[in-house]
Amino acid sequence: MGSQAELSSAQEIAAPPDGTVIRTENLWKTYDMGAIAVHALCGVSFEIHRGEYVAIMGPSGSGKSTLMNLIGCLDTPTKGRYWLNGRLVSELSDDELAYIRNKEIGFVFQTFNLLARATALHNVELPLIYNGTPAKERIEKAQEALRKVDLADRMMHKPSELSGGQRQRVAIARALVNNPSIILADEPTGNLDSATGEEIMNLFERLYQSGNTIVLVTHEHDIAAHAHRIIHVRDGKIERDESVS
Amino acid sequence: MAHWLPSLVRRRSGGGWCRSQRRKDASIGPLSGRGNKDSVATISQAQTIVRRRTARERVVASSLWVTAREAFWIALEALNTHKLRSFLTLLGVVIATTTLIVVMSIINGMNLYIADHIANLGANTFVLHQWKWAQGYEAWLKARRRNKPIRMEDFEFLKDNLKGYKNIGAEAMVWRSDNQVRYKGRTVYEVRVSGDTPNMIDIGQAKVEAGRYFTETDYRHEAMVCFVGRDIIDEFFPSVDPLGKEIQVNGIPFTIVGIAERIGKTFGESEDNFVQIPLSTYGKLFMARPQLAVSVQAWNTQQMLILEDEVRALMRGRHHLPYKEDDDFGINASETLMDAWNKLMGGIFAVTIGIVAVFMVVGGIVIMNIMLASVTERTHEIGIRKSLGARRRDILMQFIIESAVMACTGGGAGVILAVLISKIVDIFFTASVPLNAVLVGLFLSTAVGLFFGIYPASKAAKLDPIEALRTEA
Repeated sequence: MGSQAELSSAQEIAAPPDGTVIRTENLWKTYDMGAIAVHALCGVSFEIHRGEYVAIMGPSGSGKSTLMNLIGCLDTPTKGRYWLNGRLVSELSDDELAYIRNKEIGFVFQTFNLLARATALHNVELPLIYNGTPAKERIEKAQEALRKVDLADRMMHKPSELSGGQRQRVAIARALVNNPSIILADEPTGNLDSATGEEIMNLFERLYQSGNTIVLVTHEHDIAAHAHRIIHVRDGKIERDESVS
Repeated sequence: MAHWLPSLVRRRSGGGWCRSQRRKDASIGPLSGRGNKDSVATISQAQTIVRRRTARERVVASSLWVTAREAFWIALEALNTHKLRSFLTLLGVVIATTTLIVVMSIINGMNLYIADHIANLGANTFVLHQWKWAQGYEAWLKARRRNKPIRMEDFEFLKDNLKGYKNIGAEAMVWRSDNQVRYKGRTVYEVRVSGDTPNMIDIGQAKVEAGRYFTETDYRHEAMVCFVGRDIIDEFFPSVDPLGKEIQVNGIPFTIVGIAERIGKTFGESEDNFVQIPLSTYGKLFMARPQLAVSVQAWNTQQMLILEDEVRALMRGRHHLPYKEDDDFGINASETLMDAWNKLMGGIFAVTIGIVAVFMVVGGIVIMNIMLASVTERTHEIGIRKSLGARRRDILMQFIIESAVMACTGGGAGVILAVLISKIVDIFFTASVPLNAVLVGLFLSTAVGLFFGIYPASKAAKLDPIEALRTEA
């Protein structure tokens, strides 16, 4: 139980501080399908600095989802190393990964992934529950997050009572509530019409302006163009890494 | 604190942690480690680790508590959402709890009843008789053959040789089904006719409502007087003062000198259908050498136990019983009867436990099944929670608590149902809900929920978040 604490605190001392939020070194992810080994990622290395707005773009099957899972600490690589905020997270146990996800990653999913039977407020305070924040503090932080995404007046609504755009904004508030190192968005506008999609992308821009680090994963060029840097992925490798102004 | 600091020394080797062995004689000062340059070099760095570690451990501990409360509300909400399903799920547990509590209530009621009516020989009193009561039919037959009845000589012997008693009295009664009492053409049948010493009114259950009991004078003169129970009075003298009137007991006239207070019914049989006459008169008229039940009353409970032993010793001596042989008489105290009763109740209770256990296990398996289905249904939700930072133990606890809350609710419903049923039973028979039955019922059902929830909860906890998120909601 204390090992995750010991681990991260020791590695804070051990790893050299270098200002990167994400640093990957030769990431491989291999799935063993009996006789055949499928390489979803083949040696991916890159860095993302604090405050950057990056899009990871590639067609389906390119390995971008696998890369996203690794970045989001939902999975660990078969080979290679990954430092998140100076911590080596690529060899952590399940429980330690959960802790990192809670503290450092703010997920935004294509299908919103809200709890259907809970209010918006409860959805947003969920990450705070899992790190033991007491109730009063939780409510305050959740309300603050909902205010940031302009949904303060819809706090007690259930997802079924919200439009698609509003649901995504609840998800974004949830992603923000723990002050994560990165906001990791997987096709955030995939289930929204183009107008609402634009609203959401504007929101991301606002979040970028206030200093958040944003990693966007998408296959659409229009969406990726909102970011300020695009990492193109194909066949498990980085094809191109370009800055977009 | 210094002596365990060395255990925090870290070696950098491929990202793993390993603790160095404790050094018993470590002193405060820069730790040289074991010649390893990467070791934590100063106390202050190590202290920082310790501070952070305890802070994080506090967070982890409090987060379990927070998760537990969240799980509790989720459980109640889940119960509420699927009312019919919850009801069907909990049926086994409800039935088990209800059965357990109702049976315990009936037994409790009967125990109270027995203690009140049958085991109530009088305060601090025990009865010496030919045999031990309530020992079973075969034991009784054996005792009848082997044991000698207690006679007046024994009574006189004990009166003289037993020391320190508050009272010692005797009653002679042969249960005959043809005892009749008549008055002015009306007859009461199956009357319990007994001969008593005058102090039996102080020792026994009966109390004087009007008139008086026998006096020593009555006893010495073998007077033809009687002390009558309420049933006789109700039958013969509904509106007239019975004192001084003459009734015929088995054809012999007796004058009523006293009336007893109503006692009531025991197992449907009336305790008030009796006539008591002086023992001396009884000996003269009905039975030359009466067979007695000698009642000894002590001043307090401790003395009663001492007196029991003394009577036993005196009687054994009087009968010249060798050391190894059992008593050839019976010393009956409230405990004797309660013991026999408790054995009977124990048997009934054991059967009940068996039935309840079966229902609980069945109920538990049903809960486990439903929880498994629930876990499958909510795989996507579990994936969401894990992605937000729920660890295995958080998910485990959530589902175990859900299972326990469900089962406890079933237990609670069982308690309420049992209380209602017991109240109804009490109208016709006797039942009184003991508090420990309620607690046992609730505890047992919660435990069943906890136990049978472990397997589904651990399945939920082990789900891979990526797979779970891919599952459709």
